[in-house]
Amino acid sequence: MRNFRRSAIAVVLALGACAGAATGAELLLDEPTSSLAASALPSLLGPITESGRTGWNCAPERAATARTPAAAGLPHD
Amino acid sequence: MVRAAVAAASVLAFAAIGAGASAQTYSRPTAAPRTTDAGALAGVAREREVHERFGRGVAAAERGDWTAAAAEFRRTLSLDPPEPRGSTVRYDLALAEVHLGHDDAATGLLEEALHRDPRFAAAAANLVAVYMRRGNTAAARTVADRFVAFAPDSALARYDRGLTALRAGDLTTARADFRALIGSDPTYAVAHYDLALVELRAGRDDAARAELDQALTLSPGYARARFALGTVLMRDGRRADARIAFDRCARDAADPALRALAIDLRDKL
Repeated sequence: MRNFRRSAIAVVLALGACAGAATGAELLLDEPTSSLAASALPSLLGPITESGRTGWNCAPERAATARTPAAAGLPHD
Repeated sequence: MVRAAVAAASVLAFAAIGAGASAQTYSRPTAAPRTTDAGALAGVAREREVHERFGRGVAAAERGDWTAAAAEFRRTLSLDPPEPRGSTVRYDLALAEVHLGHDDAATGLLEEALHRDPRFAAAAANLVAVYMRRGNTAAARTVADRFVAFAPDSALARYDRGLTALRAGDLTTARADFRALIGSDPTYAVAHYDLALVELRAGRDDAARAELDQALTLSPGYARARFALGTVLMRDGRRADARIAFDRCARDAADPALRALAIDLRDKL
């Protein structure tokens, strides 16, 4: 009974996902570029030690002021 | 006379060697407070507690124990350490609050940190990120403008403001920021993709197409850019090319929603 219920829920979720994708596809066929999303948000920078910002080796501050995307740890997609 | 001088020199030399040896052997003892004043002693104790709790809080944060980290940083904050530790502890506590799901508390702490130190770049970066996650584009844009103003060469500042400007429909600023990012690193495919979105929204499909081609040349497996190219080709009436793009996107996409959408569009064309 429990397995049947799980299977039923899985089928309903799968159908929902397909229906969502199909609806999205219909909308996109009308205006294909409308749903394009911008790239990912940058990750949060990590913790800073008590003396971090008085020294030169503060990784979050270095990332925040880095001049290149790679040094700043910007997203890849 | 000469003998006395040699003897004196020998004694001085041995004394110097002995002093050097003792300096190397024994560490300096911890200085005892040179006061019995209650206020001064309380200050020394407070300083010591700030030091200990900062260390414990950062260690807890680094092992992902955000509840313990928040408790240590809250106590540190209550001890009111001076700058730059005052803004740093607010930044650290904000990070813990975000991980505990307390975004409102986090934004308040980061705003305070930036008020105390207006050039605290990591605080600005995290504040933009939290506002963006909460969908507060206007607040994110305000902070991103400040971030770019004091760190105009920062790639993260440009990226943050480009995203907030794009979300707010300020295409001129978004275009300038993504171009600045491309200027700092022409091989960063993501900036070409975002610039393509700006151009699409500005109705400049040819410029968008060029940026997407550039992004895909740099990163052929970039599924989101491949999908965008498919939509541009579809809008241009090039259904066969669009179908090829969606098919490739369906194979490259790690995101199941994007993959499902690409498959559906491919099959409808």
